[in-house]
Amino acid sequence: MARTVLIGLDGATFSVLDPLIDAGVMPFLAELTRSGVRGNLMSTRPDVSPTAWTSMATGLHPGNHGIFDFIRSHERSSDVYYTLYNSRDIHGETIWTIASRRGFRVAVLNYMLTFPPPDVNGYVVPGLVSWRHLRRGVRPASFFDLLQSRLGSSWKEMAWDFDLEKNVLRGIDDDERERWVAFHRRRERCWFEAARHVMSADPCDLTAIIFDGVDKIQHACWPLLDPDFASDRSSPADRRVRDLCLEYFRDVDGYLAEIARLAGPDARLFVVSDHGFGPTLEVFRVNVWLHEQGYLEWAALPSKTDAAWESIARRVDSNFALVDWQKTVAYAQTPSSNGIVLRTLTESIGGSRAAYESLREEITAGLLEVMSPSTGQPVVSRVIPREEAFPGVRMDAAPDLYLELADHGFVSIKNMEPVVAERPDVTGTHRPNGIMIAAGPGIGSGRRIEDLSVVDVAPLLLHSLGTEIPADMDGRFPDTMFEASSLADSPPLVRLDRASTADDVAGTDDSSATDDWDLQGEPDDEAGVLQRLAALGYLELDD
Amino acid sequence: MSSLSSMTDDVCNSILGALTEILTDITADWDLDFTGGIGPSTRLIADLMFESIDVVELVVAVEERFDRRDLPFEELLMDDGRYVDDLTVSQIVNFLIENLE
Repeated sequence: MARTVLIGLDGATFSVLDPLIDAGVMPFLAELTRSGVRGNLMSTRPDVSPTAWTSMATGLHPGNHGIFDFIRSHERSSDVYYTLYNSRDIHGETIWTIASRRGFRVAVLNYMLTFPPPDVNGYVVPGLVSWRHLRRGVRPASFFDLLQSRLGSSWKEMAWDFDLEKNVLRGIDDDERERWVAFHRRRERCWFEAARHVMSADPCDLTAIIFDGVDKIQHACWPLLDPDFASDRSSPADRRVRDLCLEYFRDVDGYLAEIARLAGPDARLFVVSDHGFGPTLEVFRVNVWLHEQGYLEWAALPSKTDAAWESIARRVDSNFALVDWQKTVAYAQTPSSNGIVLRTLTESIGGSRAAYESLREEITAGLLEVMSPSTGQPVVSRVIPREEAFPGVRMDAAPDLYLELADHGFVSIKNMEPVVAERPDVTGTHRPNGIMIAAGPGIGSGRRIEDLSVVDVAPLLLHSLGTEIPADMDGRFPDTMFEASSLADSPPLVRLDRASTADDVAGTDDSSATDDWDLQGEPDDEAGVLQRLAALGYLELDD
Repeated sequence: MSSLSSMTDDVCNSILGALTEILTDITADWDLDFTGGIGPSTRLIADLMFESIDVVELVVAVEERFDRRDLPFEELLMDDGRYVDDLTVSQIVNFLIENLE
């Protein structure tokens, strides 16, 4: 078993980090990539944070864990009700509770969908929670008091400010951009202080800390960070904001170094992102297109001078679709879902499978013909039916169609013409290829590894802790990350039955327990172990 | 809470007590100007300064407290496709009495 630290840099991408490493902005990350391994960590569909971080924590694809977006909906015959996903919506167990049940100490800091807090043997400070509810999410409760006393009034800045987030995604000016980066420098400092306290005062076997300012700064400042655009941005304001961005990344690099020092030389460190990042140049207003094709009718809204406006304003202002539910058969609920939902309760579908399939095929064919006026190329590169995009036990809660856009951006759900428009300025959006950098005992040195999936992270972390990998995880243990000798000494153990058993406790020497494991008894030798791993599909051996 | 005539006072008071505890806990850090204590006539938005996200979290807290996942809160929170302007504690108590079995 090795002390195991997961550091999340939300949205981090090598296309930004590598130039920063080369420029000397992130010396610790440079050293980590030299001493360990690196590779792409491929995200989920959609490549949004709640979905991808949950896949990392459960080892499950979205079709099995059931988190498809920030927002979930209940469809009724006459309306659709939206709310936020939370930890109770996760179908499947997370490594936080698996490790806790097995007797490991766990600290989970700023991790999405850990509110309401899971029952862990250690610490939780949830991510994606407003400061107004943060206290109720902290475990143990006394840790919140300690954070308050250590951080003073800035404890509120640890939390998620939903209004600020919305404003930034709409676009901000240079002054706001400076304040935004400065805010995230303060915010990351708070999270680092939380981690430092836990790691100093009560070190845990598994510590996870997420720095999500990377994503937020890249959304707001992409042209200043992407080398393909940054050289054209040389106004004094641009230089000021870019310098602040570099200070942000210097800060984060310093936090990584200090966390590694606190974890000690025998710890394994995994630096990951939930998705990558890249530029987007145009916007596709998918609900406008659906309206033009006759699948969607916009809701009739009162005039802004009408007294009734106030009661609808919040909903108009939100990122949820607002349509006439009686007359709409297909719509995109949110930008982040990149999905189209068919209203199967409407008369035009009426529960008929044939009508449903026909409609999906019709919409798919139409979407693939939408062309960009600026490039003359298709705007939608792929439309994937949900049984292919989201296979699993929770598939029925997923959008009926999933869209991959040519520029990898997210759709717009706004009622604005035209259907396809160039953005006023290049902006940052998500990409499927995130990062994995790992170092520590048994992990390879100075090499690149093949692409991993976010679902592989849970098996990886459980193995690092020296405990068993539930067989019902979709993820596979990434053996290429480790030296063969390490795998021979500590082969990954895969449990054949399901994870959730009450007596699943670490350190048990009950010999009957070995009946449940793929690997039993002592290995004869390294070659024997490798052959057995290969037989289980965990290793590919040369003939 | 006139619509509660079919319920015993104990049930009504029990739910009111639980909801008051939840709201007191939720608003503990909010530095509200509101005084007088949370009661049946307290309004979430006008008195307790609730925002949209707070309503979401209140729903989660109530479901956690009563160990339920399927309460049709949309019937309470939406009216003809629009969010209601405000809610009183007694409206929520009535909703819970009608939907908790």
